[in-house]
Amino acid sequence: MDFTVFMQQMVNGFSLGSMYALIAIGYTMVYGVLRLINFAHGDIMMVGAFLGYFGVSILGLPFPAAVLLAVVGSAALGMLTDKIAYRPLRSAPKISLLITAIGISFFLENAFNVFFGGTPRAFPVPEYMEIILSLGGLTFSVASLMVPIVTLILLAIILWILFKTKYGMAIRALAFDVNTVNLMGIDANRIIMIVFGIGSALAAVGGIFWAVNYPSVEPMMGVLIGLKAFAAAVVGGIGSVAGAVIGGFIIGFTEVVVVAFLPEYGGYKDAFAFVLLILVLLFKPTGILGLNFDKSRF
Amino acid sequence: MRKLATLITSAALLASVGIAKEIKVGAVMPMSGPLAAYGQVTYEGVEFANTLQPTLKNGDTIKLVLVDNKGDKVETATSTTRLISSDKVVAILGALTSTNTAQTIAIADKKKIPVIAAVATNDKLTTKRTFANRVCFTDSFQGEVVANYALKDLGLKTAVVIVDQAQVYSLGLAKAFTKAFKKGGGKIVKKIKVTSGDKDFKAVVSQIKSVNPDFMFLPLYHPEASMIARQAKQVGLNKPMFSGDGVANQTFIDLGGESVEGYMFTDFFDYSAPPTQRSKDFIAGYFKKTGKKEMNSFTALGADTYNVLIAAMNRCANPEDSVCINKQIKSTKGYEGVSGILNIDKAGNATRSAVIKVITNGKAVYKTTVNP
Repeated sequence: MDFTVFMQQMVNGFSLGSMYALIAIGYTMVYGVLRLINFAHGDIMMVGAFLGYFGVSILGLPFPAAVLLAVVGSAALGMLTDKIAYRPLRSAPKISLLITAIGISFFLENAFNVFFGGTPRAFPVPEYMEIILSLGGLTFSVASLMVPIVTLILLAIILWILFKTKYGMAIRALAFDVNTVNLMGIDANRIIMIVFGIGSALAAVGGIFWAVNYPSVEPMMGVLIGLKAFAAAVVGGIGSVAGAVIGGFIIGFTEVVVVAFLPEYGGYKDAFAFVLLILVLLFKPTGILGLNFDKSRF
Repeated sequence: MRKLATLITSAALLASVGIAKEIKVGAVMPMSGPLAAYGQVTYEGVEFANTLQPTLKNGDTIKLVLVDNKGDKVETATSTTRLISSDKVVAILGALTSTNTAQTIAIADKKKIPVIAAVATNDKLTTKRTFANRVCFTDSFQGEVVANYALKDLGLKTAVVIVDQAQVYSLGLAKAFTKAFKKGGGKIVKKIKVTSGDKDFKAVVSQIKSVNPDFMFLPLYHPEASMIARQAKQVGLNKPMFSGDGVANQTFIDLGGESVEGYMFTDFFDYSAPPTQRSKDFIAGYFKKTGKKEMNSFTALGADTYNVLIAAMNRCANPEDSVCINKQIKSTKGYEGVSGILNIDKAGNATRSAVIKVITNGKAVYKTTVNP
């Protein structure tokens, strides 16, 4: 394989990995505060993509306004699921919370299936996103170039919020001990809601990017992406935001490398990604940036 | 009490004398779920054929019983069982995709109820099954059509094949194409496997670009094929692309946008080139009834499942005898259907023509007809 093809595949992997990373951050943050694998997260991403679709093709909004609508709408939905479904179960066993998350996931998928049908819809991609750039034999679209950039910017913002703001301090404190946080006069429920809001907003951005790069939206689109983003969060070390991003890139690259070097097995790229997950966990059970939960959070 | 008894006796008498009965025919179609769009257009054909020909020649009326399988394998099995055991249908039309139709056939075959599939093309569907029939062509025929057309008419000698390893349809069609293409002197330079549900094919298209084939054969369904077409254009891969009937729908063009311009695929029928007088009448009636200006090929095939069944029932002394109906379906010869001239053999497979279409200005445009 010549160098250009190799580099092209690396660019492809980088772009794909960034999308997994955006969604993985949401998994890892919710896990950090609640010790909950929020299985509905992939479906929140789907809702984000749908809101973007409705914004552009039904309300006729310009693309940036549709993105804003998707982000705000998904954040609201994330907070709403927390309020309606997770908050009443705060003191229940963790397993009940997990089953509830799966229930919400099924609910969202099927509700969208019933109301909007299962046929994939073409996402109206703005033209400037589809411009093809070429650089020394490499080609990529503006959209696929934007994904890693936006991901890294958002990662920086999240890390800033977590480590430099009062809310961030509250989130980290909450991850240590809910009861003490309550004693300190912090409304734990409000902070958890904020975490859901941030995670869901990121998922919406991921969903929009997904829809712009692969222009179709359908109710089941969140299932596999959510699962892979979850794998990314685990590989990176669940609970660690930077780890989620690293995990996302690893999963993205694995998929691309399998297709590039073993095209005969290209159809099994998901299997390779999950085998990698198992391998990482065998040697490093807490993931690559695995946290020592006694000492630090995020 | 006596009055009632008289009433019952006379009613029974009347029935036995042979006042027109109502005979139930089942239809299993995905009317909701991911395949809904195709199930709906296919059933439209069945329904319209039923309004055109609601009775048998002996005066019995046909009642269609539709069950929605939601595009799901398990739902298909339960709805088939329900149609046979509680609705007592004499035959079943359905169930769109090869995977689901296989479920329907497996159950119906045991109960000796004939099935006529509209668009399920997988070769193995009818093997070792007595009560399985179809009005569409098989994947081996479709694969040959593509291979010969590419080699002889377009002069394309090397191909990359992209297979969806999760779909029997895709595996069967890829195999048939590969065999015919090699036999005709073509060369498969690369075979790449993908899985349905995948959205990112950038690695796949970059790979294809590096081997530079004359054209690509994509025996896939529309969600994957449209994404590959889009991403191929993004990496500057501008080779001709060819698919089977899996992309023969408007959604494919909607999803693919400008990148599917020039995309070629095989289909069963095209409304702009009606093959028989019956097609012309059916299309005219359909346009008048629905106000539409186009007709999907699945609608024609759906109509033909019904038409072939009615013709078979008319040839039976007792139109409720499922075994006889099945035998008569399999002796359909030179039948003038909506979708073309149909011959159904002992195995239940139809011999019929295929059409090749090219996407031009966002529309699937008829190019040529290939006869078997």
